[in-house]
Amino acid sequence: MTALVEATKRFVARYHTQTGLVAEQRGWNCMIVLVAADSEQRVTVRLEDGRVAEVHDGEAPADLVVCADQQTLEDVLELRRGPNEPYLFGELTVRGEEAHFVRLDYITESLCPR
Amino acid sequence: MPALSRGGLTTGSLLSASCGTAIASVCAVGLFEIERLLGGVWSVAAVLTAGVCCFGLARACGRLTEVVPSGAGPLAFAARGLGRRTGLILVLPYLLLTLFLAGAEALIVGVLFSRVVPVPPGIGAVLFLVGTWGLCRAGVRVSYRVQALATWALVAGLCVVSILALADAMGRGELTERLLPPPPDAARFAAGVGQALFLFMGFELITSQAEIAAGPACVRWALGGSVVVLAGFYATVSLGFSCLDVTPDASGEMVPQLAVAGQAGGLAALLLVAVLSLLASFTSFNGALLALSRLTAALASQGILPRSLSRVEPRSLAPRPALALLLVLALGATALVGLGGAMRPAILAAAVSAAVVYAVLVWVRERSPFLEVDRGIVRRLASTLLAGCFVVLATGVFLDAGPALAGTLALLGTAFGAAILAAFRSRRRTSLPTRPAELQEEVVRVR
Repeated sequence: MTALVEATKRFVARYHTQTGLVAEQRGWNCMIVLVAADSEQRVTVRLEDGRVAEVHDGEAPADLVVCADQQTLEDVLELRRGPNEPYLFGELTVRGEEAHFVRLDYITESLCPR
Repeated sequence: MPALSRGGLTTGSLLSASCGTAIASVCAVGLFEIERLLGGVWSVAAVLTAGVCCFGLARACGRLTEVVPSGAGPLAFAARGLGRRTGLILVLPYLLLTLFLAGAEALIVGVLFSRVVPVPPGIGAVLFLVGTWGLCRAGVRVSYRVQALATWALVAGLCVVSILALADAMGRGELTERLLPPPPDAARFAAGVGQALFLFMGFELITSQAEIAAGPACVRWALGGSVVVLAGFYATVSLGFSCLDVTPDASGEMVPQLAVAGQAGGLAALLLVAVLSLLASFTSFNGALLALSRLTAALASQGILPRSLSRVEPRSLAPRPALALLLVLALGATALVGLGGAMRPAILAAAVSAAVVYAVLVWVRERSPFLEVDRGIVRRLASTLLAGCFVVLATGVFLDAGPALAGTLALLGTAFGAAILAAFRSRRRTSLPTRPAELQEEVVRVR
């Protein structure tokens, strides 16, 4: 299991503990791929009805692709940094429908401690 | 890069979005300023010169988007090329001054509104701002199809009435006299080109759509194409303005597009252009509010602005506190522009900040991480020259500001002051928060 997959699974665990936040995302179905630009690591996350149904190594056709260097991705997944900071300054990029990445941003910012 | 399961925005959609963002009702006022400054073919020459500069900028932006396809657009590019704080200081004023332009736009919309329904222009301006804000607050976003329809209808409508005005002047045997005024001196022409840059302002913001575009090539083609379309459109309308019998200022009219429509096509053309302009202003402000509110919320989440502004409403995903702040600022800007007579300073300050950002974008294109290893020295020199041209054009705007100079400097001072403050408050959050104990060794269970 790669470091990125592990970090993703820890992030998913935190998300699932927030029942209110998960309930708010009901009806959201999305395939997300995280790409570490400076390594070969890829992670695919499948969401069904607002809950994460699957996390696996590698990539698949995605609704949303999030790309950054591995350290940035791990920092965001471990909630050491919010996603907005690297996003604003061009260190983290996303591709896909706006509705998906606005929702993912909301979830990540909601989990991120202030 | 993994493939997306659905195709994104095509070149055509991006092209109309780019033109739609650049073409606002306030552009007609800017175009008329250039007409008064230069006149006839010299106004057209100023528009085309600005267009050539913007075409160079479009090519640079194409490269920037290819390397950093970010929704943060110019801020992300400048931050990657020059550092975070420098990026904030140079780009934030440009974004802040769009609020003052929103004030100018709202007042023009108020006048347009008063031509369609019997309400005072001030009330129309407030209704426009509050109505658009209300829709954004509810999470309503104008579809790209509606945006495209409004943009192309306005472009076609204004081009037709401008050509009719030209034909009318030709019929009266006044065409040569109208189109060939005495040539301006170099400083005046530079000032005209600087103001013409303002007309293109916003076209480059489709770099922010890179995330939802079908690919980087679509953004690159749309950027170049939109400059060509905008240059042709503004040149045609400028010629139409040259043939106006009445000056908008003399008749107390602050909406030149209505003057040219009224002269060329009578009441029907006037009403048509008024409705199309209203639609164009609405789509433009709707997009600006959504983009700026997300940026405000993002800056607030970093502690650069008060954190309460970062809250997002879970159902609509609209950053409502940020939207409320933007509404208050837009209403304040409208009052300042309307009651304080800051229409011209708002336009000039926007032109200067646009020229500065354009110079920055062309400059960073030649820096890491955007510079290709095999990039030729001639192309690099051309970029440096173009960046220098944008700085000269910004200076030209100052030189010809006249009585509006103090207001222009005050607006720029405020915008840059706020940006410096924001840069000072920005800091990288690197501290590691304590991980909740119960999560330290949690076994991940899916479902």
